[in-house]
Amino acid sequence: MIAVEDVVVRYGSATALDRVSLTVGAGEMVALIGANGAGKSTLLNAISRVVPTSKGVIRIRGSFAHVPEGRQLFSDLSVDDNLRLGAFRSGDRQTAWIYELMPELERVRKQRADSLSGGQQQMVAIGRGLMARPDVIAIDEMSLGLAPKIVQAIARQLAALNESDGLGVLLVEQSARVALSLCSKAYVLESGRLVAEGASRDLANSCLVESAYLGSPLEEAT
Amino acid sequence: MTPIARERVALGVLVAGGLAAAALLDDSALSLYVLLLLSAIVTVGVSLVMGHAGQVTLGQGAFYACGAYTAGITATLGGPSLLGLALAPLAAAALAVVIGVPLLLLRGHHLAFATLAMHLIVLSLIGEMTITGGDVGLQGIPRLSIGPLELDSIRSYAYLSCLGLVSVALITRNVLSSRPGRALRALSSSEVAAASSGVAVGRYKLAVFALSAAYAGLAGGIYAFHIGYLAPGSFPVLLSIEYVVMAAIGGLGTISGAVIGTASVVLLVDALSRLATSSGMPSTAPVILSYAVYAVLLVLAVLFLPGGLVSLLGSVRTRLGRRERPFALGNHGGATPRRRRTT
Amino acid sequence: MSAFFSYLVHGIAVGCGFALIASGLIIIYRVTRVVNLAQGMFAVLAGLAAASLLDAGLPHGLAEVIATLAAATAGLITGVVAIGKRGTHPEASLIATLGVGIFGYALEISVWGDQPRSFAGLSGQLELSDFQVSKQYLLIIFVTLVVFGGLELFFERTYFGKALTACASNPKAARLVGIEVTRMGLFGFTLGGALGGVAGVVLTPLSPVSYDSDMPLFVNGFAAAILAGLKQPVLALAGGVALGVAEAMVAGYAKASYQSSLALVLCLVILVAQAARRPALQVADQ
Repeated sequence: MIAVEDVVVRYGSATALDRVSLTVGAGEMVALIGANGAGKSTLLNAISRVVPTSKGVIRIRGSFAHVPEGRQLFSDLSVDDNLRLGAFRSGDRQTAWIYELMPELERVRKQRADSLSGGQQQMVAIGRGLMARPDVIAIDEMSLGLAPKIVQAIARQLAALNESDGLGVLLVEQSARVALSLCSKAYVLESGRLVAEGASRDLANSCLVESAYLGSPLEEAT
Repeated sequence: MTPIARERVALGVLVAGGLAAAALLDDSALSLYVLLLLSAIVTVGVSLVMGHAGQVTLGQGAFYACGAYTAGITATLGGPSLLGLALAPLAAAALAVVIGVPLLLLRGHHLAFATLAMHLIVLSLIGEMTITGGDVGLQGIPRLSIGPLELDSIRSYAYLSCLGLVSVALITRNVLSSRPGRALRALSSSEVAAASSGVAVGRYKLAVFALSAAYAGLAGGIYAFHIGYLAPGSFPVLLSIEYVVMAAIGGLGTISGAVIGTASVVLLVDALSRLATSSGMPSTAPVILSYAVYAVLLVLAVLFLPGGLVSLLGSVRTRLGRRERPFALGNHGGATPRRRRTT
Repeated sequence: MSAFFSYLVHGIAVGCGFALIASGLIIIYRVTRVVNLAQGMFAVLAGLAAASLLDAGLPHGLAEVIATLAAATAGLITGVVAIGKRGTHPEASLIATLGVGIFGYALEISVWGDQPRSFAGLSGQLELSDFQVSKQYLLIIFVTLVVFGGLELFFERTYFGKALTACASNPKAARLVGIEVTRMGLFGFTLGGALGGVAGVVLTPLSPVSYDSDMPLFVNGFAAAILAGLKQPVLALAGGVALGVAEAMVAGYAKASYQSSLALVLCLVILVAQAARRPALQVADQ
């Protein structure tokens, strides 16, 4: 559904992405991991056409929703309004199914988005992305600043949607553990280049993944 | 030649050129030149406040007026004119401190509006007081005398204004390259970061505000003696906006930017009014043409040269002895301070 | 007592005019984060246009509508100049709107000259218990209420209104969701132009306008908008009316020349008091 082929992105004289290729097939859950500044967000921005590419091709079949880093909610609008605006393209503004998926949001549906906790905000951001009825949803740094329990809850919901609706998921993370445990396929990005790709299980054990981070080695993903 | 030496030479050339112009231009060009120099003095202050302390000021004309009237009143009341000139920047700075303490609590558009309102209020007060001559104005301001020397020709005021601009530029450079100056630049990119590094944010903002007001006051004082007559009508709100335009056009935060911006605008406006008057069109033609062309050039400059004209001369400018980029509109110190709502 | 009442009504009517100017400023700011210095020019343009159209024989109502459309067009053009180029910072856009306003001067002088123009509004008075109220005042108040009611409904109840708010709230996210931020911004400017036009059309019968009438209108409108925090139109209505009444009272009971100063001082006191109550490093919204 998303095919990124040899994409190059430059900011002035700096190369943010250097011949990166990546695919997210129908119903696949794919992880994109890498340290801060590796170019992960740039890749997502390139796919959403927020950032232009200097070379390479990006093919998208179906629709794509991009949940940006830091949630980026409409802070003075309510949770409900945020969700409904997610449907700006798709036109189907029914929010009931989102509240079914994430019942905690139902309580706060009329509250201003910036009055919510970090975890709630992340759920709203994902909900807003889902409202576009995408074939693939990409989430940038989902676990940033969230307690592990909340991250697991959200991960479960994503896995459920992947199973039931065939929703493709592209998880972009610094925290490899979460992404690798959820997704079957993974790519590792370092300084704008792909340094590894393959099945998550294999990558979790490889030292390339270790070297993509500063500091302690990775535990085996379960 | 080292960059610093190169800059000193360039500066020397400019000062020499400025003085030469004062010596060589004829009388009609001289009055424009004096206007240019005085505006440049004010604009350096505006550029300082907006480019470095990151504050918007739409009321600098009020300080200009304050300085002018202080000098004028001192002289017409019989005091020594030199005293009047010395008091002008002090009075303007004092006004800035008094107004600044409450006003600088505001930020962004609130501050912009407050400075605009301040200008209007000052104008209104000037129009009402008897000591200022009210709406009619202050007349018969004697010529400036420095000791035995009486400045009675336009040329002498050109020299004086030149001297004023050079002093203001030197003071600004010294302020910026000093420790407080660096603190200022930290201010302009992030107040929160600056404060947490121990910078007394409020005090610095007030100091910069007062310094820029002093510049405007000095220019106003020279203006009073040069023209000899003051009225509220000489200091409309549009004047304050003009200074901001000049600063922005030239390039915020650099002294050369302020001077270049002022020169460009003043010369352009003058050229336009000459052009229109000379071709024998109906009486409103000069006004229409100058407004129209000025507007178009302003829009083009601001859309396509956000760093100001100074950025045309190369993105690397020597300022503070270090190589820095000038501030672009909306982009202070290289980092855009996206001021988020906090509720 | 009747003097007080007449000052009050005059102040309310003029204040409504300020509020209308403010509403245009607020809409534009909400959607684009740009403060539109040309807002006063929209009002003046509409006033001058209406005067000419009425002179040419067009009926009341039609002339005002056309004048308002002209102002809306001016708004659109201002928008194109201010935000049409991708990547223009709001501060640069502010100066760009100043440029458009000055160009407006040139246009207005070339078409209408530099003398003030006016036209007759609703003539006659209405009897309200013991008092006579000019019908034009009532018209202004009525129109203002309708406009503000409409704006409130638009922003709070309609999807499109929410989308517009989203543009200013978080333009990055708005783009990701599929909202065309620039197009929305242009719509905001057009609407702002129309609102300025309405203000001009209702205020010109009260006092003649010429090309340089835009500054006082802008300052008063900006004051009302600032009191509303550049956010909610309803607050601008309250602020504008308060401002208008304060100015009318000062003009009536004290010196007319002090009227605008006092109003401005009031504004400043309120703003500074608000700011002083907030903790030192909390940044006010831009």
